[in-house]
Amino acid sequence: MSNPLILKLERRDRLSADEKQVLEGAISRVRTVAADEDIVREGDRPTESSLLLDGFAARYKIFSNGRRQITAVHVPGDFVDLHSFLIKTMDHGVLALTPCRIAAVPHANLDKITDEHPHLTRLLWLNTLIDGAIHREWLTVMGRLSATAHMAHFICELFLRLQIVGRTDGDTIQIPLTQAELGDTLGLSTVHVNRVLQELRKGGLIRWQGDALTILDWERLKAVGEFTPTYLNLQHEHR
Amino acid sequence: MPDITLQPMSVMADGGSHEGRLVLADADLVAVFARVTAEETAGGESQVGGWFLEAGFGPCGSLMSVTPPVFATLDEAVEWVRTTLATGLSSP
Repeated sequence: MSNPLILKLERRDRLSADEKQVLEGAISRVRTVAADEDIVREGDRPTESSLLLDGFAARYKIFSNGRRQITAVHVPGDFVDLHSFLIKTMDHGVLALTPCRIAAVPHANLDKITDEHPHLTRLLWLNTLIDGAIHREWLTVMGRLSATAHMAHFICELFLRLQIVGRTDGDTIQIPLTQAELGDTLGLSTVHVNRVLQELRKGGLIRWQGDALTILDWERLKAVGEFTPTYLNLQHEHR
Repeated sequence: MPDITLQPMSVMADGGSHEGRLVLADADLVAVFARVTAEETAGGESQVGGWFLEAGFGPCGSLMSVTPPVFATLDEAVEWVRTTLATGLSSP
């Protein structure tokens, strides 16, 4: 299967064969991280960035009372801490929600890319800009939508992001998140997570069995979640 | 310390009518708890039914405290209300 980062970038712009080779060649090794283990820890000063090849990961912060807020959910193709190349000290951790396969890209190789490949550099910049756009969208949604709309929005976004990297099966995606993890992501109690899922199920919008979530009515799910994918930057154009 | 009393009150929550309790601190309404089933807390840490804070007011409200986990018994729920009132009222 193609490197999911390449799939993700190719959705937004054309990559030359040379550029694809440079990206592939930047990977120094591939490692696996078990579920619930940290990929990067808060306070770390990584010398390499982690590209998620398989699995689900989450950016998170923990409060003094032990409560956790997940600030981003990452899918294959996401460069979960590309920003550690420049911000140096991690201000949050990145956790494997499921077993993850991670490609390590040494910062020295990123240095070389930024020195020698301006277009590829812009695409990596775009990658972090999209991460930022997703954060903005989440902040807005968390502050101003109902819990049901928030969940619908989350499902719509995750579906499109998985579709880009070829991880959908028709209208079905695998969401291996527990309801507690969904609660930490959406800022809801487990009871509320359960209730909004029931509501979406009863409304005939989704079916959720085990880890498999099937979207039964995309248009209505989008309407409920007030979901407009502009922020995901899905246009294919020169950047 | 305020006198805590419980009043049975049915609560409409998603999925319909739930057995519930109004919690009063002296004469003030401070919390509404509803009984939730194990199914409603599926995926939670406890995996059992219990009492869920549907609404809180003053120190028990969402502006001043985080939503607590589902409590296994009403006694635990009342204990949370007492602690929250005590710490909430004493903080500046």
